[in-house]
Amino acid sequence: MYLISVTITICTNIISVVGLALLTGYTGMFSLGHAGFMCIGAYTSVLVNRYFGVPYVLALLLGGCAAMLISVVLGYPTLRNKLRGDYFAICMLGFGTIVRLLLNNMNNPVFNGAFGISGIPKLTSLWSALLITAALVYFMWNFVHSQYGKNCVAIQQQEVAAEMMGVHIVKTKLLSLMISAFYCGVAGGLLAFWTQYIAPASFSDTKSNDFLATLVTGGTNSISGPLLAAALLTVMLEYLRFLVNWRLVLYGLLYVLIMRLRPEGIMGYREFSLRGTARFIRHLPTHIKNLPASSKAYLAKRRTGRRDKP
Amino acid sequence: MATFFQQFITSLSVGGLYALLAVGYALIYSVFDFTNFAFGAVMMVSAFAGYFATEFGVGTLPAMLAAIAAGVLLSVVVELTAYRPMRKKNASRLFLMISAMGVNIFVTNLFLCLFGANLRTLPTGLSSNTIPLGSVQVGAIDLVALIVSLTALLILWGFLYKSRPGITVRASAIDMNTAGLMGINVNRVSLIVFVISGITAAIAGMFFGMKYTVYPAMGTISNKAFIASVIGGLGSLPGAVLGGFILGVLETLVSGYISATYRDFFSFLVMILVLMFMPNGLMGIGNQDKL
Repeated sequence: MYLISVTITICTNIISVVGLALLTGYTGMFSLGHAGFMCIGAYTSVLVNRYFGVPYVLALLLGGCAAMLISVVLGYPTLRNKLRGDYFAICMLGFGTIVRLLLNNMNNPVFNGAFGISGIPKLTSLWSALLITAALVYFMWNFVHSQYGKNCVAIQQQEVAAEMMGVHIVKTKLLSLMISAFYCGVAGGLLAFWTQYIAPASFSDTKSNDFLATLVTGGTNSISGPLLAAALLTVMLEYLRFLVNWRLVLYGLLYVLIMRLRPEGIMGYREFSLRGTARFIRHLPTHIKNLPASSKAYLAKRRTGRRDKP
Repeated sequence: MATFFQQFITSLSVGGLYALLAVGYALIYSVFDFTNFAFGAVMMVSAFAGYFATEFGVGTLPAMLAAIAAGVLLSVVVELTAYRPMRKKNASRLFLMISAMGVNIFVTNLFLCLFGANLRTLPTGLSSNTIPLGSVQVGAIDLVALIVSLTALLILWGFLYKSRPGITVRASAIDMNTAGLMGINVNRVSLIVFVISGITAAIAGMFFGMKYTVYPAMGTISNKAFIASVIGGLGSLPGAVLGGFILGVLETLVSGYISATYRDFFSFLVMILVLMFMPNGLMGIGNQDKL
């Protein structure tokens, strides 16, 4: 039971982080409000299930669609006119707070304010969660390796050049925002039907931070990197319960260190593959043998690099 | 009418503090073209420094100086350790933003773990709480905050427009590379900018601590200042001041006449509306990437 619970938590984290990977990693837009989309998805799917009797999978999809709709309302004013990413960042930061604020103050029997909704039927099972996660990851994999995904990467690398080559900037950015919002909405619904209880407080800024930390650790330009990182970090938190309060301190430090030392994250631009891992393990002895030499070369490069500066 | 006048004075004082913070944001944005998300953490740390200084038994003025020292120190340290090495590597803006957010999360949660989430009251050091002004009573702290923030803004204006180092800052804001080619020490400019933003954050942090309380999450107030500088136009200093006052007045009036719970909602809504109809903010010029 405990293992199943951990697995389902990993699944929801994977879905949200993979959604965020498209937006932040591939398209290069910074968001700290994705817990808000998760919140909208969770509330929508629970409410349509409870009051309109919508079946499980359809309810999840509707939750995702609701998040997608809100993302268009938010994204259009901040993404059009080629505004800088900063506008989008503050918009998302505010959005996460506003969603919680509004839900906290909806003191009617439907939303039940800050107490949240309880008594949700347990519809998520291990297999459905795994199946949905696998399907969504598969779709995302196909998307980022399609023409649309390449457009996103082009925007992230060189916005001006991408536009010169005929990529519609606003449309592409909005599309990737919509898809990532959809993913977070579905993840929210999945989580709600498992925990059987949702409250605005469970979708706090901390959750958005967790997603971003996972993404940054896993590498901003791959799908398998964040996927592995989501699994690892979730399991790590289960085992290191005493770290719960200090984990945000560590995350903060992690952001700065990774950005300084290896901004492309653990996986970088590579994807995880069995053949690559096998090759890495086979060459590991050589790597270790070469380590003193390569670190010496690195230090020498650094030293001469310093001397070159005026 | 008297209530309205009272509200108006309060809103101006909040607006003045927002304006100070927004100027800190706008200054860094205008020179470096990125948003310093660690600003809220700097504000929080300097408020804590002020609090500990008063706990230590010194008066309000030395406490303010301690706060400013802490703000400047943290601001410069963050610039030297987190931002400058990345700028040297020509890192993309996304990475700088994530790094800045990392500093913010790190410092905020470090203080949360070390000192707990309790609210601490910062004594104002004023003999009376209200000052009669004609027929209405005005909060003394509001009046002092307004005067101090206006003075600080005036000094900053004098520095940026009349002094030599100020002119180098403005030149770098127009084009950093060209300014460097013209013999301006760009590294010194970046230090000046971060020192100024540390000072503004410290002053605002002290007054927010006196008006409300000191707690680790108080850095979120600076998000409002960011909204203010977006309303005024990112990177424009007069715009930041204008946006700060507009947001201060709006917030106080909304919490006075509609509901305090929806205050944040309205400030956010105004930002979205401004972005919809005036994408460059009220006084911003050329914030879009031109092709």
